[in-house]
Amino acid sequence: MVDVSSSTASLATPESPPARRWTAKNRFSLGGTAIWAVLFLLIVAPVGCFLILAVSPHVFQQGPQWFTLTFIRQAFEGITGRGIFNSLWVSTLVSFLAVSTATTLAWLVHRTNIGARRLWSVSMWLLLLMPTWMMTLGWSDLLQPFGAAHAMGINTRWLYGEFFGPLGIIIVLTSSALPFAYFIVSAGLQGLGPEFEDAARIHGAGRTRTFATVLPIIAPALLSAIAISFAETMSDFGVAFTLGYHAHFPLATYTLFSAISNFPANFSVAAVIAAILILSTVPPIALQSVVMRRSKSYAVLSGRTRAPRRREFGKRSRYLVSAGVGLVIFIALGVPIVGALVGSFVKNLGDDSGGGVHLTLSYYAQVIHPSIVNNSLGSPLLLSNQLGLVVASLTGVMAIILARRLVATHGGWSQRITDTFLLGSVAVPGVVLGVGYIFFYNLSFITHHVVDIYKTLPLLMLGLMASALPGQTRFMAGPVSQLQPSLSEAARVHGANRFRTWRTTNMPLMSRVLVWGWLLTFTKTISELAISQILYPPSQEPASVTIQSYLANFQSGTGTAMTVLTLVEMFGVIALALGIYRLVTPEGWRRTGWSVVD
Amino acid sequence: MRDSQMPQPVGVVIERLRKEFGEKVALNDVDLTIEPGSFVVLLGPSGSGKTTLLRCVAGIERPSRGVITINDVCVAGPRTFVQPEKRQTAMVFQDYALWPHLTVRKNVAFPLASSTRLKEQKNQRVDDLLERVGIAHLASRYPNELSGGEQQRVALARALAADVGLILFDEPLSNLDADRREQLRIEIATLTREAGATAIYITHDQSEAFALADRVGVLNHGSLVQFDTPENIYRHPTNAFVTRFTGVAGECPVVAVKSSDDDHFDVWLPFAPSHPFPALGVNCREGDSSLHFFVRASGVLLNAPGGDKGVCAEVIDVAFNGRGYEHVVKVDDQMTLTKVFSNRRFERNANVKVSFDPSFCFVMAVPGRLS
Repeated sequence: MVDVSSSTASLATPESPPARRWTAKNRFSLGGTAIWAVLFLLIVAPVGCFLILAVSPHVFQQGPQWFTLTFIRQAFEGITGRGIFNSLWVSTLVSFLAVSTATTLAWLVHRTNIGARRLWSVSMWLLLLMPTWMMTLGWSDLLQPFGAAHAMGINTRWLYGEFFGPLGIIIVLTSSALPFAYFIVSAGLQGLGPEFEDAARIHGAGRTRTFATVLPIIAPALLSAIAISFAETMSDFGVAFTLGYHAHFPLATYTLFSAISNFPANFSVAAVIAAILILSTVPPIALQSVVMRRSKSYAVLSGRTRAPRRREFGKRSRYLVSAGVGLVIFIALGVPIVGALVGSFVKNLGDDSGGGVHLTLSYYAQVIHPSIVNNSLGSPLLLSNQLGLVVASLTGVMAIILARRLVATHGGWSQRITDTFLLGSVAVPGVVLGVGYIFFYNLSFITHHVVDIYKTLPLLMLGLMASALPGQTRFMAGPVSQLQPSLSEAARVHGANRFRTWRTTNMPLMSRVLVWGWLLTFTKTISELAISQILYPPSQEPASVTIQSYLANFQSGTGTAMTVLTLVEMFGVIALALGIYRLVTPEGWRRTGWSVVD
Repeated sequence: MRDSQMPQPVGVVIERLRKEFGEKVALNDVDLTIEPGSFVVLLGPSGSGKTTLLRCVAGIERPSRGVITINDVCVAGPRTFVQPEKRQTAMVFQDYALWPHLTVRKNVAFPLASSTRLKEQKNQRVDDLLERVGIAHLASRYPNELSGGEQQRVALARALAADVGLILFDEPLSNLDADRREQLRIEIATLTREAGATAIYITHDQSEAFALADRVGVLNHGSLVQFDTPENIYRHPTNAFVTRFTGVAGECPVVAVKSSDDDHFDVWLPFAPSHPFPALGVNCREGDSSLHFFVRASGVLLNAPGGDKGVCAEVIDVAFNGRGYEHVVKVDDQMTLTKVFSNRRFERNANVKVSFDPSFCFVMAVPGRLS
């Protein structure tokens, strides 16, 4: 037995109150101010200053007018007007196609005994990591006359003309939006306990009525999926820059890029297009936000979590449904990969000289020893990896801080501002950020009095971070909000300080989402095109820009080989990181929390 | 540091404790003194502030005002706030709060991490505890592989492993079925007392509170309305809320009262205007029109209709509970009695006579009515 005095003595000395109060208050304000200062310089200021040009070019000496609506009128005329119109209808159609396909897939994967469930979920991740310009390249190589399909003995000449138009754009953009919608709907389905379906069935509802009864419960997830799919499609640059351009089907992101890359650059028209891109995503995202707030989901991640029950298909139905899902995944992911692979190994793809199909490694040799364009893939890919490493790590730290702030129970005004800001930022396309950066960080006031990083690697890095941060934060916010507060409280009450609580309780449960969040940003940074194309410093091209310059210089074989190598490298890093994670983490870390196949 | 072999029970003193969440006052100037080694149960309905009070003691919530002293050391006050990990407490959570990535063994061993014991001693301690709570065979399982009762045993073992002088229980049995609840209630009472720790246990279940507690504190709207032994709370409730919340068979407004001695009154009820019923008066004044008559279930006696004793009533419902029969009896439009026990079964619609044991009858003012 220990005497009372020793127990008393072992209780901690109370903290000095005035000091603590001062510290806590100042830490909060300093922390909050620091976060907002970073976010201001990263996103708000560059985009805000750029957008002002739409109506007031004189503010930044871009024209004589203090206030004018001329550029708004100009933006809706000619090719820019067509670009805006095309983007709006294509994005609307794509978001509905993606969400309806994703909802079906998510239900089949999570709520039935369909075969190869893990494979489908992992495929969705791979699809998420695949940039749209890579998909376009694969499809083009496959479908072009005397292309990869022809090399495999399949006649696709009839489809080629259709693909290089709205159809191809819609196929690629739907494939690209599919994983976003899939993961959002999957999360919604997992919050939907089987008891809701059971209750409806028990009380006399047939399958259709049960579905109609239960569907509104996941309405927030569906709306979320539509909003995010719409925003992602509106802001896509890869398809606009490649397929859209070649098919003479202008999309708003490309006309924006053209407005500043043509001579003379027209920043004001570009600003109008940017504003329309952002504003068009406000209604769906605001609607989704309102619905989400009204139906806040319960925390579900705890030691008591149970798996939902699945619907059992018969043997034949199971095979049929699995094959159907496999076909959808193959169209979205397999076709572009196969197209790119064949394109990189077949000599003179697209050449109708009748020489037949000849396999070759010459394109891969040219990757290492370039012939026409004096740039191998080595240094750009190394640079892209370095950028990916820095951007993913810094963004990861910032995203977890913001995610915690976002899901705080008593966040007050700070939480609301963070929420609104992040929702708004998701709607800012990379191309807008890139152009905003070019404009803002070249202002004489900024270069002389704040920071002079124009045309440097740090500016590109900041642009990539600004582009990745909102999505990364939203990605982290879900798993963070699922952490039961009582798990941390239990650790604190049983003697763990803040650091030990984070290390032993939160980090293990968040470890998988942290790793995947990092990998997602890393790979997205490597393959990013819009910001890289706009902000890369002279003679320091990232891999995606180098590949595009090969493709633009009629070196499509070498460009395709570079694409394949970049893809292999990206997936190699993922495999390596996951392998290391598996080796070094305890079993419990891998059993719980967010999972890639959830 | 948490390295004592057997915890020394600690006293807890709470003075003028107030906690506000925005406009809402969760705790309103609560004063409470808990003796070392006692098992205190805080009883109250949802929203009464009992969970907030417990979380303030644990250090999970920071009080808006007031002082909390644990073992003569101020842990929360106007100039003080000791972090939860430094308060030398342990807690069993309502949702168990088991870390899903740790095995049962590692969950239980968690509080021993900062102990100065040797590794073998720690392992032995964990083995002993798992054995004591009956889950030694589940040591290598993960929480989601356990039933609710098993998970709660892990949570209990973890709290005991902490070897601290104060264990807090946040409605630990509310997620369990009746059988497991009863079994675990006994184990909590036994093991906590064996451990020699002071316990603060919150519940909204009056029978659980009375079964476990040395002393019960009844909370309502953030205020502690009575703190006493279970017997005194049952026999001498201080107001209508405590009386109702700790179980009455029925109540009805009174026609008239007349003082018979110090605390006792003769009460005239609407269904028997000529027959006075003796009852214990609580803040009772003759002529107060807000007075109500209350009777505990154990104070109602059911007789066959032919006898002389009691007033006429009709049986509305009867239920067998294993030991005998619980009846619902309608005396008149203003008084229906529930949970009236008898060894004999009276059928539905049967006429009976009801009499009251004065030691379980109370007359007291009901708030909200003009006096």
